[in-house]
Amino acid sequence: MFFHNFKYTFKVLFKNKMLIFWTFAFPIILGTFFNMAFSDIENSEKLDIIPIAIVSNESFESNPFLKETFRYLSDEDSETQLFSTKYTNEEEAKSLLEEGDISGYLLVEDTSKVVVSTNGINETIFKSVVDEVNQNSQLIGAIAKENIEKELKNNPSINPEAIYKNAIELVQKEKANIKNISSSNLSYTMIEFYTLIAMACLYGGILGTVAINQSLANMSSTGKRVSVSPTKKRNIIFSSVLAGYLTQLIGLVLLFLYTIFVLKVDYGTHFPEIVVLSLLGSLAGLSLGIVVACLIKSNEDLKVGIMISVTMLGCFLSGMMGITMKYIVDKNIPIVNKINPVNMITDGFYSLYYYDTFDRFYGNIIGLFLFSTLCISISIWSIRRQKYDSI
Amino acid sequence: MKKVIEVKNLTKEYKKLKAVDDLSFDVVGGEILGLLGPNGSGKSTTINCLLSLLNYQSGSIKIFGKEATPDAYDIKRQIGVVFQDVAVFEELTVYDNINYFCGLYIKDKETRKKYIEEAIELVGLEEFKKFYPKELSGGLLRRLNIACGIAHKPKLIFLDEPTVAVDPQSRNNILDGIKKLRDNGATIVYTTHYMEEVEILCDRVIILDAGKVIASGTIDELKSLAKIEEKVSVEVLDLDEEYIEKVRKLKNVELVSYNKPILLVTYKKGKNNLVELMEHLKKEKISYNKIFSERPTLNDVFLELTGKGLRD
Repeated sequence: MFFHNFKYTFKVLFKNKMLIFWTFAFPIILGTFFNMAFSDIENSEKLDIIPIAIVSNESFESNPFLKETFRYLSDEDSETQLFSTKYTNEEEAKSLLEEGDISGYLLVEDTSKVVVSTNGINETIFKSVVDEVNQNSQLIGAIAKENIEKELKNNPSINPEAIYKNAIELVQKEKANIKNISSSNLSYTMIEFYTLIAMACLYGGILGTVAINQSLANMSSTGKRVSVSPTKKRNIIFSSVLAGYLTQLIGLVLLFLYTIFVLKVDYGTHFPEIVVLSLLGSLAGLSLGIVVACLIKSNEDLKVGIMISVTMLGCFLSGMMGITMKYIVDKNIPIVNKINPVNMITDGFYSLYYYDTFDRFYGNIIGLFLFSTLCISISIWSIRRQKYDSI
Repeated sequence: MKKVIEVKNLTKEYKKLKAVDDLSFDVVGGEILGLLGPNGSGKSTTINCLLSLLNYQSGSIKIFGKEATPDAYDIKRQIGVVFQDVAVFEELTVYDNINYFCGLYIKDKETRKKYIEEAIELVGLEEFKKFYPKELSGGLLRRLNIACGIAHKPKLIFLDEPTVAVDPQSRNNILDGIKKLRDNGATIVYTTHYMEEVEILCDRVIILDAGKVIASGTIDELKSLAKIEEKVSVEVLDLDEEYIEKVRKLKNVELVSYNKPILLVTYKKGKNNLVELMEHLKKEKISYNKIFSERPTLNDVFLELTGKGLRD
């Protein structure tokens, strides 16, 4: 019965034109549009260099973290240039800001203060870089202090400056993180394609919704007929969901093949990790579809509409319609993207592409796994009943 | 005959509404039991309780002598259901739809193949095996719906208004198919609003209203419950109110109505009512085209028992 139901559910899903459009055709069509839209502007379409000023006082000069970071991010010869920085005094900085020549200026006294006149993207990025550096410097300072004290106990002749230098090197490593936040060197095309893959994974949820809908007596007439048959409910549900998952993976494989071989998208070198991320991303999408099907007592069209809307919202918040949205959400309401499966998938791809370590990638993998587990647990709880109060 | 279904004191409530109220009845093997009732009388709810799809507050249901529960797979294996809504997959052909649902009961491919062919033949869909549901007419779709429910050769079949919105030809085909199923030994529970179908098919009838049995028995037993004995219809081109009043005063007359050109006279009891009326018409020199007498129908009994007020 398991294979029988699996086979026919797969057939039903595969022949459903609406499902095939959303899970197979739509991502491919969207990918083609992305490619057409971004291929010509890829090289020029980096964020504008942000004009800023820094009040070059004693406090700034004695803060190696800020000094080094802004030197690095203002290097005109570097691909990672984010700021065009003028080192000046406070009066001139004020005057430059009033005349609109700069987005803001940095004044380092007891604390670091970013002075801006408006609240735009440039200003937010400027503030975030300063916040990031301050947070890191505090962390590094604490590490350095602890290490110095520890080393001094064992070796009174140790050079504290060397330890401090090591700590600064840690800050240098964090530059990658700053780069990422500033998005100054992120490829727009890559961002779009990562989100596209994430979207395709989540659209698989529609398959989960339909597969579950067709199997439950209180959801559809076919579900009623299946429920009166001498087949165990768990066999029906599990084989239906498995058929949905297989259909989704086929769609995803087609999307990868199309983007790699036709659109020439380079997903980097971590292929096994990409496969794992896609498998878990699809599972998260499928689980979301299942939970929508189980919890919402309505017709299939409404449920599919909800799935499409939720997916598109997830894509929007994770940067599909503009990378700045991802940044704004990450910075202001980070919890949203922490529980947004689309963001977990795209962030997993970013981390594979930009970092040498897998910490962030594994974080996203665990996040997706937990998300899927939660959705499936809620679904099992909601459909555990064998009989219904009304159908 | 052996009891196939035993329902005792079944009560099902939806919040404050009692859909089934202390219902008890039996179905014996090999019979076609008609379950009649106006909309909202509890027919479909009763069937859904019997099929272990719905929770119920009290009572017991036994099918084939065993308690009906959702995991009573040995009982479920012997049951076939044709729901009121067409329950087929739009993405599968006629053959594949029947194969899918039959496959939930029958593992062996060869047996299944044979059963599917027989089901297709029974409902007359031989020429439509490769058609998709959207390519079928309403009648053909209903026939497919039936084939999906009975292909596995169940011993007990629930048919919930299987002929809704089908043309007379398809209805005839469906009714013939149901008779064949009964002749092959199946026990059938049949719900419908079409009284003529019940008269043609059912061995016994239960009339439900507000979740209760208000009458049960064979067709003749039910007809005997009618307060009227005879109905005489006369086709008269023109009648005045004075004459109609005279007819009302005739012996045994219960009701008189005149919807031009038919004069309908309903008699409480008595014999030779037709002859007496003919003589009266002659005496009053009223010419008529045709006149005929009929016994009360099941529809008359149904309306008498459940009232003529609109439901839903």
